[in-house]
Amino acid sequence: MKKYLAIFKINLLNNLAYPAELITRALMILIFMWIFFQLWAVAFSESGTGFLSGLSLREAIWYFLLAETLELGRPRLARLISEQVKDGSIAYLLNKPYDFLIYQLFAGLGESLPRMAMLFLLGGGLVWAMAGPPPGISGWPLAAILLAGAWLLHFCFNALIGLAAFVSEEVAPFEWIYQKFTFVLGGMLIPLDFYPVWLQSISKALPFAYMMYAPARIFVKPEWSHFLQLLSNQAGWLVLMGGLLILAYARGLRRLAINGG
Amino acid sequence: MMRELRYLVFLWKMNLSAAMEYRAAFLTQSIGMIVNDGIYFITWMIFFDRFPSVRGWTLTDMFIAFGISASAFGLAGMLFGNAFNLGEIIAKGRLDYYLSLPRPTLLHVLASRMVPSGMGDFLYGFISYFASGQLSLDGLGRFLVGILLATTVFIAFLVTIQSLAFWLGTGGTFTALAVNAMITFALYPITIFNQAAKVVLFLVIPAAFMGAVPAGFVQQFTWSTLGLMTLGATGFLSLAILVFHAGLRRYESGSAIQVEV
Repeated sequence: MKKYLAIFKINLLNNLAYPAELITRALMILIFMWIFFQLWAVAFSESGTGFLSGLSLREAIWYFLLAETLELGRPRLARLISEQVKDGSIAYLLNKPYDFLIYQLFAGLGESLPRMAMLFLLGGGLVWAMAGPPPGISGWPLAAILLAGAWLLHFCFNALIGLAAFVSEEVAPFEWIYQKFTFVLGGMLIPLDFYPVWLQSISKALPFAYMMYAPARIFVKPEWSHFLQLLSNQAGWLVLMGGLLILAYARGLRRLAINGG
Repeated sequence: MMRELRYLVFLWKMNLSAAMEYRAAFLTQSIGMIVNDGIYFITWMIFFDRFPSVRGWTLTDMFIAFGISASAFGLAGMLFGNAFNLGEIIAKGRLDYYLSLPRPTLLHVLASRMVPSGMGDFLYGFISYFASGQLSLDGLGRFLVGILLATTVFIAFLVTIQSLAFWLGTGGTFTALAVNAMITFALYPITIFNQAAKVVLFLVIPAAFMGAVPAGFVQQFTWSTLGLMTLGATGFLSLAILVFHAGLRRYESGSAIQVEV
């Protein structure tokens, strides 16, 4: 475990070493949150009500902040792993005394944490100024648990797409489509509560809702029973996707051909 | 002039031949991008199902604005793919190759790369326009004019922003920020923005010329809109050429031995 913590620490320090880069990257969330606020302020005002499906404008904007923090802060592992598979540099990681997937997990975490913290701080400042104060502190630990689970689910999907390079010449389209599924079926651009009931049912039966909607919704509306329901579904998807990833990795290694050195 | 045009056509043919060498990857990226755009647009269909009009902006407007933006983005990538990484070329001293040849430097460098997924974006734009229910022969003609002028503004904006690398030395993150801002603003209803924001969208981040203005032109011909679009395209293109050449005077060779293929 110590070696993985060291990998995490190295990646964390790498990202903290360039604060200007970290801040510039995070500026994008200001543009997104400002646009979201303009759009939803008009939508709420034109619907003539202070609440839409139980969410106020302030809650909806904080919901978007958490979803965007996760989306912009998660590492783009799919491209990295697929490049490592295609150019053969995976060979240099495989002969080291650590597990390739756990290495990627901790490296990704080290990259993600400072980025997400910066996104949340910058975006949170703007959202507070535009929409009002954040939701009560009681929901934060529950949201943090679901956020960790969502991050792990994203990791599983990204790694699976990256490993698809063992069998497919081009994996970028898989990554685009997976991202758009998290936008639409994950409720990143519109909270799932605003969807028609039939689409809500489909979305909640798929993993994407637990990669975006779950932490964002509990962040703004912390309810124990809802939290436990979302957590159990998320855990189920994690077991399934984690198992698939381990299986795909083992099969991929059997297909790996390394020429030269 | 004709000589340069013939050279451009030759470069585009070569780029297409190079892309077709990896036929499977080219097709996967093109089809993948069409699916990607289609899934993303579902978000807007869900939104306008719940809120049919956003200060007069409807799903029909969205279909057309999205169509113009997607096609313009795709066309820029297909014909002038290096517009997306001009800053990196400048910062790494890779302009040497283009400077040593008797061709207009900016035109040559921009047209020397094709983004294969651009084909998918370009085609999806037409699907989006056809789906708007506004298809007519003269409308299609205006749609094509809109794409051409929007592409010009988009490329000009990319060149202007990335030419800052002559002064800043680097700027990959800043470029990504500017490009994302341009595309994001173009893909949202312009009616949600106040007057001050609209000034920014016409003069600073000219996203209005990539979405809302040409979308209005497609629906109804007016000389003033055509004039505005032409003025925007000419103005931003002139600015881009001016900034690039001002920067070129500061350019320092990377002295790197390189082979451009």
